[in-house]
Amino acid sequence: MINILTTALHFIGITIFSAALGLFFMGIARKIVARIQKRYGPPIYQPYLDVIKLFGKKAITHGFIFDFGTIMAFGGVIATLFFVPLGAWTLYSLNGTVVLIIYLLAIASLGMAMGTVGSGNPQASIGISRALTQMLGYELPYLVILFGLIYKYQTSSVFGLAQAQAGGIMNWNLFTYPVATVLAFVILIGMTGKKPFDAMIAPSEIGSGPVVESGGKYLGMMMLQKSITIIVELALFVNLFLGGADNILSFSIKMLIVWILATMVGSLFPRFKIEEGVKFFWKWPLIIAIIQVLFIIY
Amino acid sequence: MLINYIFIPIIAAFFAYLLNKKGKYIGSIITSLISAYILYQLIGLYGNWSLSQNINLSIMGNDLQLLFANNPLSWLFGIMTASATLLISIFTIKSQENYKLSSAFNFNFLILFGSIIGVVFASDFLSLFIFWELMTWTSFYIISGGKKAMAKKSAYRYFVLSAVGAYTMLMAIFMIYSQTGSFAIAETANYLQGISTTHSLTLMFMLALPFLTKAGLFPVHIWVKGAHGNAPKEFSPFLSGLMLKVGIYGLMVVLFLLPFSKVIENTLSYRGLSVFSYLFALLGAITTVTGTILAIRQEDMKKLIAYSSISQMGYIIMGIAIATPLGLTGGLLHMMNHLIFKSAIFLALAAVIYRTGTTKMYEMGGLIFRMPLTFATYLTAIIALAGIPPTNGFISKWVIYQALIEKGYLFLAVAAFFGSIGSFMYVFKPLSTVFLGQLKPQHEKIKEVPFLMQVPMYILMILMVLFGVVPGIQMSIISKISSFVGMEAVNYSLFTIEGAYGAWNSLIIFNIFTGGFVLSLFVFILARKSKLVGLLDTYTSGEYMNDAEAYHFAYQYYRPFDRMFDSFAAKSLTRAYESLAENIAKIGNGIRKTVITGNGQSYAFYAILFFVILAIAGWII
Repeated sequence: MINILTTALHFIGITIFSAALGLFFMGIARKIVARIQKRYGPPIYQPYLDVIKLFGKKAITHGFIFDFGTIMAFGGVIATLFFVPLGAWTLYSLNGTVVLIIYLLAIASLGMAMGTVGSGNPQASIGISRALTQMLGYELPYLVILFGLIYKYQTSSVFGLAQAQAGGIMNWNLFTYPVATVLAFVILIGMTGKKPFDAMIAPSEIGSGPVVESGGKYLGMMMLQKSITIIVELALFVNLFLGGADNILSFSIKMLIVWILATMVGSLFPRFKIEEGVKFFWKWPLIIAIIQVLFIIY
Repeated sequence: MLINYIFIPIIAAFFAYLLNKKGKYIGSIITSLISAYILYQLIGLYGNWSLSQNINLSIMGNDLQLLFANNPLSWLFGIMTASATLLISIFTIKSQENYKLSSAFNFNFLILFGSIIGVVFASDFLSLFIFWELMTWTSFYIISGGKKAMAKKSAYRYFVLSAVGAYTMLMAIFMIYSQTGSFAIAETANYLQGISTTHSLTLMFMLALPFLTKAGLFPVHIWVKGAHGNAPKEFSPFLSGLMLKVGIYGLMVVLFLLPFSKVIENTLSYRGLSVFSYLFALLGAITTVTGTILAIRQEDMKKLIAYSSISQMGYIIMGIAIATPLGLTGGLLHMMNHLIFKSAIFLALAAVIYRTGTTKMYEMGGLIFRMPLTFATYLTAIIALAGIPPTNGFISKWVIYQALIEKGYLFLAVAAFFGSIGSFMYVFKPLSTVFLGQLKPQHEKIKEVPFLMQVPMYILMILMVLFGVVPGIQMSIISKISSFVGMEAVNYSLFTIEGAYGAWNSLIIFNIFTGGFVLSLFVFILARKSKLVGLLDTYTSGEYMNDAEAYHFAYQYYRPFDRMFDSFAAKSLTRAYESLAENIAKIGNGIRKTVITGNGQSYAFYAILFFVILAIAGWII
């Protein structure tokens, strides 16, 4: 009994920590984008205020699938979080493989897609159709890079891949495979839905797409889901290319650096049309990734 | 024993045909009883691997032996056939109320069932061929009974392609027979060990062609879309779930039971795999990519899922062709899982067609509030198809990935990844356009399907989650098959499978998934209750919106993606085959015109020419 209780507390604690960290990152990103655009920007704690406010508001729903989709999106991303090692917290990552994490993230996307299309708003459907198309764009080169790393280090667990880079900064994949790292960084910008690749949420065009109908607690849960997704994606990048970390503090700092760089680079470019985005991913990242992996294999 | 299981359905078919005239449900009841009985009997055969039976025939003084034997591979396919037949015939009891040809359907369906049992338990090529032909004929009749005008043309195309394959196989069988004097697979295997590589290659492709056709592999996949899309709605699950797999069974016989791979191993190889096996795997990869791209474009939901079947068959063939323990395991696992989730998808679509009478996705929408169970079945099935844990589809895809990465087959892996991520796109399209979104005014009064049609869907849903959490059940038979074909088995337990670079533990994943879901549910429930509003009460940028029909985004759902592949899709392979056929017909016509002049003298000339040729031939020989 005590055992289950501690596990449950552990579970909840890590979820709250990651959500809080993710919201902090979102606040920083808003500030950076504002400064690049010569605005003052909201305070860094603004996302916390937003979430608190949203959970206090009355919301509307469009039927049970709308509720179910939101629950599935948030639940799926929490489940994913526990397979990614966060610094010294290995959680359940010894049982998780990279491929598993990619697919678990898909549960959250599917839940969000289902709930939001269930609202009956065609703008949401358009957003989802764009998001899924773009996903095919960036996942393909990403999986190719993962293929190379798994083949090289003979393990597919994220923890194992991070351990394989132990023993000094020069063992990081950032230095051993700089090309793959740069590609993964570009893909990370696409994954997190940052500027050049944000056609699926395009606020001025399709009313923020997937979240067009969400309000109150629905939007609040979407924000929490987004924040944990950011943590999962950044943690995956840090583990795979920056050698992981021994403790959560240095791990968070590494994630923060990657996040700031991604935000800065992203906000320099105007938005891609959706097929341009996919073509971009398939032209440069995919071809270079294939060449890189062929080098690793032979 | 074994022979009974083949002939009981075939005899019952006549009774089903006659009794069905009295009431349209009787034929299906007979089918389900027979298949339940045979399923029960086959389960009892587990472990009885030495069982064999012969039929001795004497035709015009020639003694012929038809051999049947039980082995793990045949057993698995027998069980799959019987269970698929059972589920579909339960579904059919209610769904064929208004189907004119239901007597013929049940007649053919029972014979088809018997003949597939015959194909999988045959241990000589002659009986395999006989039942193979019976299978093609009966399925041809069932497909041509589809409601659409295109059904007959599609059935014809299916039949012609199958026939071409079947006759090359027949030729190969007789070539072998003329050398060995036996049709038995075991003796053929002995004979093949002593022949030259070229000869063996020719025989391999001749024997494999009908199976590749039936499995819907790349250059001969063109029948799949039409046949699946236009067949009677109850038959599509069987066609896609099971009949494509019979092709895989044949391919397994060719690649594993016959020693072709050993003969060819000495020729060229690529990363430890003979080039010809790699070629099969590469065809699988092309199949996956083509199927995915074309599935995303479809506006007809049955055709969309038909293309998805093509794409998934590519995975299975990739797994089986690379012939590593992991690859074989992954291929077989995916084959079983594909049967389950694809039958579930097609049954859910059949339920939709039963209520709405259309297969065009843009003519539907918002059915979730009218048919929640059908929606739940479809949702579970697509989660499995897209390979998302904790369902069965993820495990098999994961094993195939492990197999591809282990050997470093990058290009196969890229195709597999493409097919997998692409499958999110195409399975979401029917979900979004048929089940979600705005309900059409004419579908306002639709109800959920009758209980008997729900039963198979419940069973399939349970199976998808069960095998997703407890893959050990499937692995126990697969490990038997692995040792039967002389391959190392993969380490497994009830909840875990060991890959090359990491293990899979479904129990932990299921628990954490449940934990995440419960936590999320708590957050949702603890927050303030929300107010329910209608589907038309949405953000419309200030427009007034009263027309549900116009407010549904369904047609050309992935237009930006399709735009990239417009030129690719315009190059239709079907059209290429058709123009080839036309050209051959033109040449034939030209020859006919010059030869058949209608002039008596020229015919006399041909007769003389014929004798002259005969005389010269006789003189030379």
